[in-house]
Amino acid sequence: MSNINKMHNTTPGRIFDVCNHLLLIVLGLVTFLPFVYVMAGSFATEAEIARRSFFIFPETFSLEAYRYIFSTSTFVRSIGVSVFVTVVGTLVSLALTMTMAYPLSRKNLVGRNLLLNLIIFSMVFSGGMVPTYIVVRSLGLLDSLWALILPMAINPFYLIIVKTFFQNLPVELEEAAKIDGCTEIGVFWRIVLPLSKPVIATFTLFYAVFYWNDFFNALLYISDSSKWPVQLLLQQLMMVANVDFGDMDALLAEPPEESLKLAVIVVATLPILVFYPFLQKHFAKGVMLGSVKG
Amino acid sequence: MANIEFEQELTFPVEKKKLTFKQKLRRDKWLYLLLIPGIIYFALFKYLPMWGILMAFQDYSPFLGFWASDWVGFTHFQNFFSNPDFFRLLRNTLILAVYDIIFFFPVPIILSLLINEVRMALFKRTVQTLVYIPHFMSWVIIASISYVFLTTSGGIINDIIAHFTGETVSFLSHPDWFRPMIIGQVIWKEVGWGTVIFLAALANVSSEQYEAAIVDGAGRFRRVWHVTLPALRSTIVILLILRLGNFLDQGFQQIYLMTNSLNREVADVFDTYVYFMGITQGAFSYSTAVGLFKAVVGIILIYGANWFAKKMGQEGLF
Amino acid sequence: MKIFFRKSIITYPLFFSLCFVLLFGCSNEEADTSDEDNTDGETTDISILTTAYTPEPPDESSPAWQALEEYTNTNLDITYVPSSNWDERFNVTLASGDLPSIMLADKTPSFINAVQDGAFWNLTDHLDEYENLSQMNDIVKNNISIEGEIYSIPRSRPLGRNAVTIREDWLENVGLDKPETIDEFYEVLKAFTEEDPDGDGEDNTTGMVVSEYEGPWDIMQTWFGVPNEWGEDENGELVPDFMTDEYREALDFFNKIYEEGLVNEDFAVMDPAKWHDAFVNGEAGVIVDVGDAANRNHKDMVKDDSSLEGSVGLFGAVEGPDGLYNLPTLGYSSMLAISKTSVKTEEELHEVLEFLDKINTEEGQNLVFNGVEGRHYEIEDGEYVPESDQNLVYEYEDLNQILPALPTERYHVEEESELTEQWNELKIKNEDIVVSNPAEPLVSEVYAQHGQQLDDIVNDARIKYIVGQIDEEGLDEAEALWKQSGGDDYIEEINTLYEENQN
Repeated sequence: MSNINKMHNTTPGRIFDVCNHLLLIVLGLVTFLPFVYVMAGSFATEAEIARRSFFIFPETFSLEAYRYIFSTSTFVRSIGVSVFVTVVGTLVSLALTMTMAYPLSRKNLVGRNLLLNLIIFSMVFSGGMVPTYIVVRSLGLLDSLWALILPMAINPFYLIIVKTFFQNLPVELEEAAKIDGCTEIGVFWRIVLPLSKPVIATFTLFYAVFYWNDFFNALLYISDSSKWPVQLLLQQLMMVANVDFGDMDALLAEPPEESLKLAVIVVATLPILVFYPFLQKHFAKGVMLGSVKG
Repeated sequence: MANIEFEQELTFPVEKKKLTFKQKLRRDKWLYLLLIPGIIYFALFKYLPMWGILMAFQDYSPFLGFWASDWVGFTHFQNFFSNPDFFRLLRNTLILAVYDIIFFFPVPIILSLLINEVRMALFKRTVQTLVYIPHFMSWVIIASISYVFLTTSGGIINDIIAHFTGETVSFLSHPDWFRPMIIGQVIWKEVGWGTVIFLAALANVSSEQYEAAIVDGAGRFRRVWHVTLPALRSTIVILLILRLGNFLDQGFQQIYLMTNSLNREVADVFDTYVYFMGITQGAFSYSTAVGLFKAVVGIILIYGANWFAKKMGQEGLF
Repeated sequence: MKIFFRKSIITYPLFFSLCFVLLFGCSNEEADTSDEDNTDGETTDISILTTAYTPEPPDESSPAWQALEEYTNTNLDITYVPSSNWDERFNVTLASGDLPSIMLADKTPSFINAVQDGAFWNLTDHLDEYENLSQMNDIVKNNISIEGEIYSIPRSRPLGRNAVTIREDWLENVGLDKPETIDEFYEVLKAFTEEDPDGDGEDNTTGMVVSEYEGPWDIMQTWFGVPNEWGEDENGELVPDFMTDEYREALDFFNKIYEEGLVNEDFAVMDPAKWHDAFVNGEAGVIVDVGDAANRNHKDMVKDDSSLEGSVGLFGAVEGPDGLYNLPTLGYSSMLAISKTSVKTEEELHEVLEFLDKINTEEGQNLVFNGVEGRHYEIEDGEYVPESDQNLVYEYEDLNQILPALPTERYHVEEESELTEQWNELKIKNEDIVVSNPAEPLVSEVYAQHGQQLDDIVNDARIKYIVGQIDEEGLDEAEALWKQSGGDDYIEEINTLYEENQN
């Protein structure tokens, strides 16, 4: 490590560091400010949002939107649904993806190429909304939360990436384990998975974010409104507010208030946002590839 | 990953002697067991609905269903290719797709290299988290914020420009600004998200490799070039190849929200067209045909790129 | 890690069992479309698929729902779909084959196709039997019909809904009256822009605010005598609106007011969600949209600054060279169609229609729109006072999504302000001057295929002309392109259909 530090302490190194930090700070602000605006708007009054186009601190601080959200059981329940789907869905997806990727990473497996070709084909070609709906219905999954999980349980894209990662793991370790009398499943469980923490962390994040953000499957497969995930409600509020005024239905109550919309965005986004920092420590613990070499 | 090279050469001692087909199956029986759930998934949810593709050759009426609908052969394809708008749509789609790969694809890689150079763990994590936030903002919000910033009457950015030059720039309505604006929005929204996978790959680079490079007297830039980038190479190649499979896909919602009467000539792409044909107009078969065309282009590009990658000595998809 | 593996062990058997369900479950695809034997002879089972606008639509446990069932003697099964993505769900439901008894629909190509394939009941000869359903407005009846036949019950809305919202206090400040002709309208816009109508000494107002949404131009061109989409020429042939001389005249006017800065400069890209903000904030004094927006804007303004009470006024249209015209709405917002898959016999159809008729009575409309008296509202001194607890409101709010409101809206409304009274009168006055679209009931194949492209060509050319990007020649080119892109066939087809329809 001392060598690396020395590296950073040269003059060009320092100039680079300063520029780099400045650049990243600016970038962080640019990506963060709109979210701050959403937060600020969720605490502002309706009139202020209409009057000021962009602001970071509301003039009058109002909790009205949040009071409204938590005055009914709807949002809390929908967050519960989202959490359930996200947790269970991520576990199912990780299990399926990992177990399928591992055998496919073995180049001498008979039938491997056929399977990989079929997987790639299914990434590009799809039967579409209607046939998939019919399959889901035939499985009796309509109106079940499993319909939000099983139809998308494996993302072929992620599967291929995980497979590539497994392919790059040092073979010596697996061999050593085999000589010790482990079965392939034992190798997978005791050697491969522990070595794959960064990958597991990455794809936990990817799948979790996917499940959390998905509203479209709920739209198609869930009729019972008590099982709507929070993203569907958010979508609902955003789109109703965004329709052209001329189309707005006379029978409707007032369009949702802007601050309510923004508050729902905050409520629907924060849980998944805080997930990343929590996972980050697993990214940092790299695989100690060096240990094999000795 | 320095190990890639030798690892591929290395083979199992048992494989030295030729195994029969049956022996191979028996040898890998546990592996096949692991494969089964995944195979069932693909069969059920990906291949069972695949008959939907045939709708492209039908005059599919949702109410009559698949079996009662008429077969029309390649009619929809003919209509699509002979549509007066076809070449405009193709051109707009291709240009945006190429812009996306040239201007968007490298940005997360560069950003992860920059983040990787940061030593303060807290700063690093904070930046990572901040840049990834926009991924969670919906396009409706982004379109709305873009309007607030870019409009010529009172938009913050245009006010600044007008202050210095005395003129305003029609970012939102001028056709020349449409593509830069779309790519800019995509970069803003997805760059942080894109770094996640590269940063995970960088986590695998051991500090020993850096140490070794430093001992060899490598400068900072050379270290990035010789150690960090190669560690990302296989990820980059795979992501690029996979990206080509969706080459002709653009985010429908984003394009739709940013399109207006003054920039439509450059804004219309296959995805917006398919949306209006398929969902609004209910032309199932026609939109399936367009989707099929896009998929064929995608699969050709994937295999082409994979072949090329292998030719260049990269690992490719399989 | 350990947790994750344990879970996956649980998942696998589940997964396998699902596969069995698929293998053996395929055949009952059509079996469970609801067994409507109706042996009890008492209550009727009615399933409904409709939109939801609230985050929490009512369910069977809602007292309003139960009261409605009791009142109509039915057993309801209402499925709510978020309005945001209704189209997708509608198409998938059609494709899946199990249609509910009553299904919300729009006159989209998929609905028309399904009608032509026999998915829905033809109601033309049935409606007369029902007291309320038979009292459908003729224009609306014409608008919802498909090839001259009626396949659905409209959820009716005021036809004369389009109106101009204007700042009355600004009018006073600049010393003008509500405009009655297009010239006076122009004078008002000019004064609102240039004569500091808000009296703050700054040049910070524009006459009118328009957004990316094109509705206002459609409404305003009607004032000039431009037909509503299609108009008859001297030979009785239908021609599209933009091929008339009046259209060019209207566009010249629009171009003039834009060039003189009487309309916000960035209207072509303005986010429609921010459109009314400009009026509410006192940046613009005129807005052309549906008239109910006036009340909403007025409320928002007063909330922020109570001195603005009474500052908002309304008028229907201004007189053009050929007389006084206004653009109507379609007179309905989506329709309720009755499917043949769930409603198999004429008797069952009768029961469903009876249900739809009955919810239009005053009592029915109150239940559907206001909920249950004593729980969701009170009548105090003859005034309707709704309960404001959000949980209670959700219990009935989305029930209104099944209401045809025929022949009129008869539910309770809150005490009316001066502005809403003005608005209610205006709606009726508007009905005398609206121009209906003769081609509305015609089903064009060309339009089903190329409609979007054709409309884009015309709309884009209009906007470009208004902002001065193209001139007369450009409009001619757009017209030629329109004809080439299928427009010629469209005109021919519409005229053939029009003739057939009239005989």
